[in-house]
Amino acid sequence: MRALVSRRGVGGGGPSSTTLVAARLARVGEPCSTTLAATRVAGSQTLASGSPDYTGLAGLRRPARLAACALLSLISLAAGVGQAYGQAGDAQAGKIVYEKKCALCHGEKGDGKGPAADLLDPRPRDFTTGIYKIRTTANKTPTDQDLFTVITHGMPGTFMPGWKVLPEKDRWSLVAYLKTFAPERFKEAPKKQELPKEVASSPESIKRGKEMFEAIECNKCHGAAGRADGPSRPELKDEWGHPIRPANLAKRWNFRGGATRADIAMRLAAGILGTPMPTFIDSVEKPEDIWHLANYIASLGPESPGYATLLSARAVAGDIPDDPNAPFWAGIAPQNVPLVGQVTIEPRNVNPAIDVVTLRAAWNEKEIAFHLAWDDPTRSVQDAVNKTFADAVALQFPRELPTGLERPYFLMGDASDAVYLLRWENGKGGTEAHANGPAKLAPIAGGEVTAKAVYADGQYRLVLKRPLVSKDAARLTFRPGVFTPIAFQAWDGGAGEAGARMSLTSWYYLRLEEPQSSRRFVVPPVVAVLTFVVMVLVGRVARRRA
Amino acid sequence: MRRAFGAFLALALVAGLAVFVARPAPVGAQGGGTIEATVTYAGAPQIQTLKINKDTDKCGTEAKIEKVVVGGNKGLANAVVSVAGMKGETTAKKAEVDQHGCKFVPHVLAMTPGEIEIKNSDGVLHNIHTYSTANPSINKAQPKFKKVMTEKFEKPEIIKLTCDVHSWMLGWVAVMPHPYFGVTDGSGVTKIANVPAGKHTLEVWHETLGKQTKEVEVKAGQVAKVSIEMKK
Repeated sequence: MRALVSRRGVGGGGPSSTTLVAARLARVGEPCSTTLAATRVAGSQTLASGSPDYTGLAGLRRPARLAACALLSLISLAAGVGQAYGQAGDAQAGKIVYEKKCALCHGEKGDGKGPAADLLDPRPRDFTTGIYKIRTTANKTPTDQDLFTVITHGMPGTFMPGWKVLPEKDRWSLVAYLKTFAPERFKEAPKKQELPKEVASSPESIKRGKEMFEAIECNKCHGAAGRADGPSRPELKDEWGHPIRPANLAKRWNFRGGATRADIAMRLAAGILGTPMPTFIDSVEKPEDIWHLANYIASLGPESPGYATLLSARAVAGDIPDDPNAPFWAGIAPQNVPLVGQVTIEPRNVNPAIDVVTLRAAWNEKEIAFHLAWDDPTRSVQDAVNKTFADAVALQFPRELPTGLERPYFLMGDASDAVYLLRWENGKGGTEAHANGPAKLAPIAGGEVTAKAVYADGQYRLVLKRPLVSKDAARLTFRPGVFTPIAFQAWDGGAGEAGARMSLTSWYYLRLEEPQSSRRFVVPPVVAVLTFVVMVLVGRVARRRA
Repeated sequence: MRRAFGAFLALALVAGLAVFVARPAPVGAQGGGTIEATVTYAGAPQIQTLKINKDTDKCGTEAKIEKVVVGGNKGLANAVVSVAGMKGETTAKKAEVDQHGCKFVPHVLAMTPGEIEIKNSDGVLHNIHTYSTANPSINKAQPKFKKVMTEKFEKPEIIKLTCDVHSWMLGWVAVMPHPYFGVTDGSGVTKIANVPAGKHTLEVWHETLGKQTKEVEVKAGQVAKVSIEMKK
C-alpha cells in the first residue's frame, strides 16, 4: 500500500484537474505500453519501467491485450478521476481537520503561533513560510508525499505526533490545506532528489563512512561520537533565529525524517531546510560516500532504544570494578530507561534534555553497583556567573523494601512517605539523601556510597556503589530475588535543569538475580534418566501381564 | 524562383549584419563619464568581538563582526553605490568570494547576474548558507577538500551569506541588474566608470545603515565627485 501511495503522492505541484487526469492517463497507459512493447512478459514480472504490472494483462495475447488495455484505460480513468481528487486532498475538508487537530500548536493562521507554541521546543512549524524540513526533493518544494509522511509518522523527538489515527483521506486533505498557507512556495514543482546507487552496510563501508564523517567535519555540530556535542552547537540558529540543536546521531530513533539508512542518506543529500544542516550531495568525495556516511551514522546507535520494562542486576562472584570504562561493564547487558520531563509541579520541565539513561547493574555478596550512562552535550558544574547548574543523576528507592504494592509518591516522595536517594552530582560526587518531595532533601550523614564518573564525547558514565546490607536503618538493604522499586532522575545543568526542573521516570522494578547454581545442569538430566527408567519398567510389567 | 530565394537570402544577410553593426556600442566608449562617490558616516564604528572556540589555527582566537567600518575622514567602507534605473550588459568577469580566516572576503561583493565562485581557502568545513528571496537560497556544505564551488545568482537582489559552522561569518552579495556600481573601500570611496552622461540618481546600500539616494550629473569624459553622508 505504501508503494501505491507514494506513486500517487508524487503528483506534487498545483493539482489542477487536467494535470491529474493526464498523469492518471499516463500511469494507466504505462503498463499497457510496456506490455505491448514486449513480445512475451511473464505474468508477475516487474516491468522495465520499474513499476509492477497492476493491470495483469501481461499474459494475454497481443490483440486481446490491446482491446483490454483500451477498455481498462477508460474504466480506470473514470474511476481514477475521483481517486485522484481523493489523493490530491480537499483543502476545505483539510481546514476542518486542521482547526480541530493542528491549530492548537501550529496556529489558526498556520504561522506556528498556536496557544501551545511557546511551550514547545523545537517550536511548531510556521506553514506560511512554506519551509519544510523533511523533503525528498532537490529544491525547496516538498512533494505531497513528503508532507503526508510527516503527518502520518510525526516528527520523532519533538511534540509532533504521528496522525495515523486520522483516516488517510483526512491526511491528504491536510496536505492540500497546508499548501494553501504558502501557495507561492508550491508554484515551483518538486524536483526529485536522486540518490547514488545504494551501498549495503558492511565493515568496509562503515569504515569509509567514518573517514568521510571526519573529512567533512560532521563533528563540528554533531560531535566526534555523534552525540550532538560539537563546538558549533551553542551557535546554531534556525531560519527564524531560534536556537536549534544538532541531532544526536547515536539516537537515530529521534531522527525527524526517519531512522532507516535510506532516510539518513536522503537527509544527507537534501539537507534539512530552515536549519543549519546543509546539503552534502555535492560535498562528498564520491557520490557513493553518501551511503557510506549513512551506513556509518546508522552504526552509531540502534534503530530503536528497545526500552527495558523490568530491570535486573546480575549476580557476580568476584570484585566489581569502580571504573566506568572497565571491560567488565561491557559484558553486562545494557537496559535503556526512558525519562520524561517533570511536569507535575512548578517549575515544570516541558522540554527535558535527557531522555534516556542506560543502566547496567551487578551485585556480589558484599556490594551492589549501578553503572549509568547518559548523553549530555554540555558538561557543567554549579556556576553562578555563567548561570549553569551541576549535571546530576539520582537513583530513587523506598526507604525499605515494601511488603505490599504501596510505594512512596514517585516524585521524590511526599510528606508522609520519604524516598531514599543515591545521588551523583558533577563536582560533588556521590551522596545519599532522604527526600519528602523535590524541595525537601535531607542528606544522610556517614555516606556509604562511592561514585566514579567519566565524561567523554558528550556522554557521562558513572559507577555508583554501595554495600548490599546497610549498616543502619536509615538506608535500604538490598535483597536478592526481591522486586525492588527503583526510579531515575537526571539533570542537565548546562540546559538550566536543577531542582524540580528535571527529567524522571515513574517507579520501575529492579530484581537482583539470584546466583545461578550448577544444579540446573545436573537435576534435569537425572530426572530425565529416571523417567526413562520408570517408563521402561512400566512397559515391561505391562507386557509381562499381557 | 531560385533567384528570388537567393536575393531574399542575401537581403536577409545584409539586414542581419546591419542590425548587428547598428547595435549600440558600450556607452562608456562614446561620451561616458566617471562617478567618484565618497560615502561618509559621522557615527562610531560598530564592531562586535566574539571568542572563538574552534579552528583557532585558521580562524584566530577572536572574531570581529564588522557591522559598521569607518575609515579616515569618516569614510564608510563596504557600502554599495549604484546608479539607479540603469540597464546594461553583465560584466564578463566572474564574481568571486573567498572564505579566508573564517571571514568572507570581500565582506561585501557586488556583481551582475551570473555565476559566482565561492572559494574555501581555509581548509576547514564551511557551509554556504544564503538568505535571499528572488534567487533560490542555498545551504551547501563546503568541506576542506572542496576548494571552489560555483553557484548562480541570476536575479538582482541583495543576498546575505552566512556559515552555520562559524556563526560570526557574515557576507553580502549585491546582485545588480547593470554594471554601474561599486563598493566603497576602507576610506569610503568607489569609482563607477563609463556612466552615460546626464542626470542620475545614486543609490547607496549599507548592511547596517540602510539605503540613501543622491542626485548626480555626469558629463562626458569628466569625473563627477559626489559625497553622500549615511545617517541612522
